Amino acid sequence: MNPDILKEERNKEWRSELRSRIKAKERTNIPRVKMPELEPEIRVKYQNREVNKGLDVAQAQREASRCMDCANPTCMEGCPVSINIPKFIKNIERGEFLEAAAALKETSSLPAVCGRVCPQEKQCEAHCFYVDKLKKEAVAIGYLERFAADFERDSGKSNIPGTAKPNRIKVATVGSGPSALSFAGDMVKLGYDVTVFEALHEIGGVLKYGIPEFRLPNSVVDFELENLKKMGVKFQTNFIVGRTASFDDLKAQGFKGFFIGSGAGLPRFMDIPGENYNGIMSSNEYLTRVNLMDASSDNSDTPVIKGKRVAVVGGGNTAMDSVRTALRLGAERAIIIYRRSEAEMPARIEEVKHAKEEGVEFMTLCNPLEYFADSKGRVNKMRLNKMELGEPDASGRRRPVPMEGSEFELDVDLVIVAVGVSPNPLVPSCLPDLKVSRWGTIVVDEEKMQSSIPQMFAGGDIVRGGATVILAMGDGRKAAENMHLHLKNHSANH
Amino acid sequence: MSNLNVKYLGLDLKNPIIAGSCGLTNSIENLVALEKSGAGAVVLKSIFEEEIYLEYAHEFSQLGPLDNNLEFLDYYDYEIKKDNLKHYLDLVREAKSKLTIPVIASINCVTAQEWGFFAKKIEDAGADAIELNMFLLPSNLSHNSLDHERIFFDVVSRVASKVEIPVSLKISPYFSTLGSIIRDLSFSEIKGLVLFNKMYSADVDIESEKLIGTGVLSHGDDYRVSLRWIGMMAKRVNCDLSASTGVHSWQTIIKLLLAGANTVQIASVLYKEGFSVIEEFQENLQKWMSQHGYNSIKDFRGKLSLNNETNLAEYERVQFMRNFGDYK
Amino acid sequence: MNKIISKEYFSDKVVKLVVENPLIARSRKPGNFVILRIGEKGERFPLTIAGADPVKGTITLVVQIVGVSSSKLVALEPGDHITDLVGPLGKPTDIRKIGTVLAAGGGVGVAPLLPIIEAFKKAGNRVVTVIAARNKDLIILEDEAKKWSDELIIMTDDGSYGRKGLVTAGMEEIILREKIDECIVIGPAIMMKFASMLTKKYNIPTQASLNSIMVDGTGMCGACRVSVGGKLKFTCVEGPEFDAHQIDFDEMLMRLGGYKEEEKKANEIYSQKI
Repeated sequence: MNPDILKEERNKEWRSELRSRIKAKERTNIPRVKMPELEPEIRVKYQNREVNKGLDVAQAQREASRCMDCANPTCMEGCPVSINIPKFIKNIERGEFLEAAAALKETSSLPAVCGRVCPQEKQCEAHCFYVDKLKKEAVAIGYLERFAADFERDSGKSNIPGTAKPNRIKVATVGSGPSALSFAGDMVKLGYDVTVFEALHEIGGVLKYGIPEFRLPNSVVDFELENLKKMGVKFQTNFIVGRTASFDDLKAQGFKGFFIGSGAGLPRFMDIPGENYNGIMSSNEYLTRVNLMDASSDNSDTPVIKGKRVAVVGGGNTAMDSVRTALRLGAERAIIIYRRSEAEMPARIEEVKHAKEEGVEFMTLCNPLEYFADSKGRVNKMRLNKMELGEPDASGRRRPVPMEGSEFELDVDLVIVAVGVSPNPLVPSCLPDLKVSRWGTIVVDEEKMQSSIPQMFAGGDIVRGGATVILAMGDGRKAAENMHLHLKNHSANH
Repeated sequence: MSNLNVKYLGLDLKNPIIAGSCGLTNSIENLVALEKSGAGAVVLKSIFEEEIYLEYAHEFSQLGPLDNNLEFLDYYDYEIKKDNLKHYLDLVREAKSKLTIPVIASINCVTAQEWGFFAKKIEDAGADAIELNMFLLPSNLSHNSLDHERIFFDVVSRVASKVEIPVSLKISPYFSTLGSIIRDLSFSEIKGLVLFNKMYSADVDIESEKLIGTGVLSHGDDYRVSLRWIGMMAKRVNCDLSASTGVHSWQTIIKLLLAGANTVQIASVLYKEGFSVIEEFQENLQKWMSQHGYNSIKDFRGKLSLNNETNLAEYERVQFMRNFGDYK
Repeated sequence: MNKIISKEYFSDKVVKLVVENPLIARSRKPGNFVILRIGEKGERFPLTIAGADPVKGTITLVVQIVGVSSSKLVALEPGDHITDLVGPLGKPTDIRKIGTVLAAGGGVGVAPLLPIIEAFKKAGNRVVTVIAARNKDLIILEDEAKKWSDELIIMTDDGSYGRKGLVTAGMEEIILREKIDECIVIGPAIMMKFASMLTKKYNIPTQASLNSIMVDGTGMCGACRVSVGGKLKFTCVEGPEFDAHQIDFDEMLMRLGGYKEEEKKANEIYSQKI
């Protein structure tokens, strides 16, 4: 964000007045707010009840008053989409919640989403003045972001960001996940005619099929999508770019630029014996059945296997989502099997904490070796190895080494393999000229997010492998900015 | 002309000279050339457990800021392993389609876990046999000899139980009761023992005061350990024996065959002198055989192996005293 | 879009539907399939495209009623809309001029076989087709199959139509009397397994089109995974056709039964509702 604009905003009268209202010492003495949570015993019964209940007005304003409105807001350095953090927080402090939401929407297309799923503890909050200078807990930026976005949604008075005059230039996205939506939001603001093409029958990508209702309700996602529609973004579901129509077909229809955000929708398996037995599935399959197809409810036609003794292999957020879903679907035992120690799990600490409260068992330093099944081919047992941590490797992580003679067996009737996902090859396979890495990710110029094909930009998991929603959004924004420049130069030369 | 045919691991080889597992047996071009030069069989370059881990660590360090990709990278070694294994299976398949001589795949492993599964895939890809290369230095201080030995039997039984094709095992001589181990292993599921592994040793560079690796190639005298143990055990084992390390001349080949080896494996000499050395060896072998009146390998193989009645320990002591003691 | 243009019953269990979808009609190739959904709570399920008319902008689907989703689809009438329809998915059949092609279709598998034999015939091959079913009522698309075959043999288990015997009997007779360069088999998994075993005996390269369980159909979930030559493949992106002799049919058959309990229960509930 332009430092002059930041300064200008900060010097506005209401901001200076707000700063002087409370003394610095008073602000820093306020302890960080605790997010109200639904009790574990209740929440494990419901797939669709959010665990974090959200702050109320009093809590939000008090927390907002902790923010020092720094002259040099280091928190913003940690935000991949450059939200003007002090501006929105100070608006909350002074009670202008809709203004706060508007401030968020200046740069983020999905504020209610970010407020819930961003790893703020590694991003904005990690760079907060409180952490850097006072060694205290950061301002709860994430909770406040969610508060503002939810307030606006509940008020029914949604602010639709302004868009420039239509320039009639058509651009398309491949995919409708966070990177594509972010790209679409920025492009439509710049006046472009944006169409989002989605292969599935629902828009939102991983926001809909991957993240469970108890973390990110689909209704919240739908609301943000409505806003994009109101801004003029067009959505086309059941459309696979490259198959339903080719890229050439779309170019012939006038599309001048493409943003590929087709995501990391390719499940990974460990390739160990017995992995193809029934009742062993990828986290993608499990979560898609439950989150997208609502398989756990009786009136949905899509079935899902409801295991009583469920093992989830992996240690990331996807593994947490899967194991907590299994619990909600009636598992008597829901177990995480992770080959390293808990400290090394990629999952957010908050997710691990919630999982433990709900009764998830953690078998760390364990790794599956083989699966066994009954006569019908349904998994009923798995054999595992205990691991120990050996020497650190080049990356500094200690390497898990199997402990000789430590094998043991575990009765299971459902296994979710959540060891990571890879880029979905469908779109790259339709573009032979597209430069793709050995691992299937699209190679882009990291500053511009431009691929080896000039009018194709890409971002999100298809470029990064598998990363976070917010990074995908950051990519979308960067791509929009650069495609805009590219198209301007391109048309100027014609 | 004498016939050089031998049987090894139940396979028919046109001669006992096998191109052993090394950097040269990893490409289809080389394998075809080795067959053309007369090799009786080839053992493919080993697929290493360690290799996969090293590549993973490398990829890990390449791919961007750790925290953001951690979930993607956490189990990435499985992807690398799958990719490497895929290439290995492709090599096996291609080798089988282009070669007429037996193709033996090689797995270099320290644990049994996943290799049984992979061994089945190697079999499906068409390999004629699998050579397990277990270079396990007994340096684990928490193990006693039984613990150390058990690992070998464990790995063998896990792999052999998954495949129908013959499995052989290449070992080092570092066992406290090497004789018993060779005999006992020969009675396990394996069909052949390869004696012995080329020990990779370290040395010191006194100028830089650092530990360095020594050359990987063997020397012409290195065959002696294999010679002695094959000589002693050939009549006491229940499987084939293949001599490995230090086989640099046709004379050495004959010595080892006389001692009781079914086949010999060459590697370093291929680096030093090129593939044509195989033809030379064959010619010289045949010349020697005809000079000594042998029509086939089995006419003289094992002629010098110690027979069952000889008490090995006593025999050893007598030889020792003969050479070093006063008793002449 | 996705409007049902016409509906025709081949038997009380097998229905032909012509659906309006100009985009798919235009870009589809023989061997491709679509994923459909009926109703907001419907599940996603695959159907091979049995034919298409790019000019009219329609595709033809042939459905066999086996459970809830197929029942719901068949309950639609001309004028109704399919809630969601996406495609074309899967790798198209590799059509080339090779000589003589033996095509074998079991039951409703004849429908997806049609565009393939049409393409092989148009490419200049001699096409010998065997279609088989349990009885006369289940033999479908005979005229269409005849149109694109140099020779058509019909087999029924009970002999009520054509010749009595299994599809493999019909195939073997042809194999023994003339040289077959390639074989393509489509039908119930168990039929494809035995047909494949037959052609393996005679070393005839064979492609089988698999009907694995699918959820998304775009390679995202792995539900359709199958072992081919020891390697893991996804039916929806690398298939649906694979080298039949390398397919682990036993594993595939086992995976097809993965949701049997749930499907049975759902079907019971559905039949009570209607």
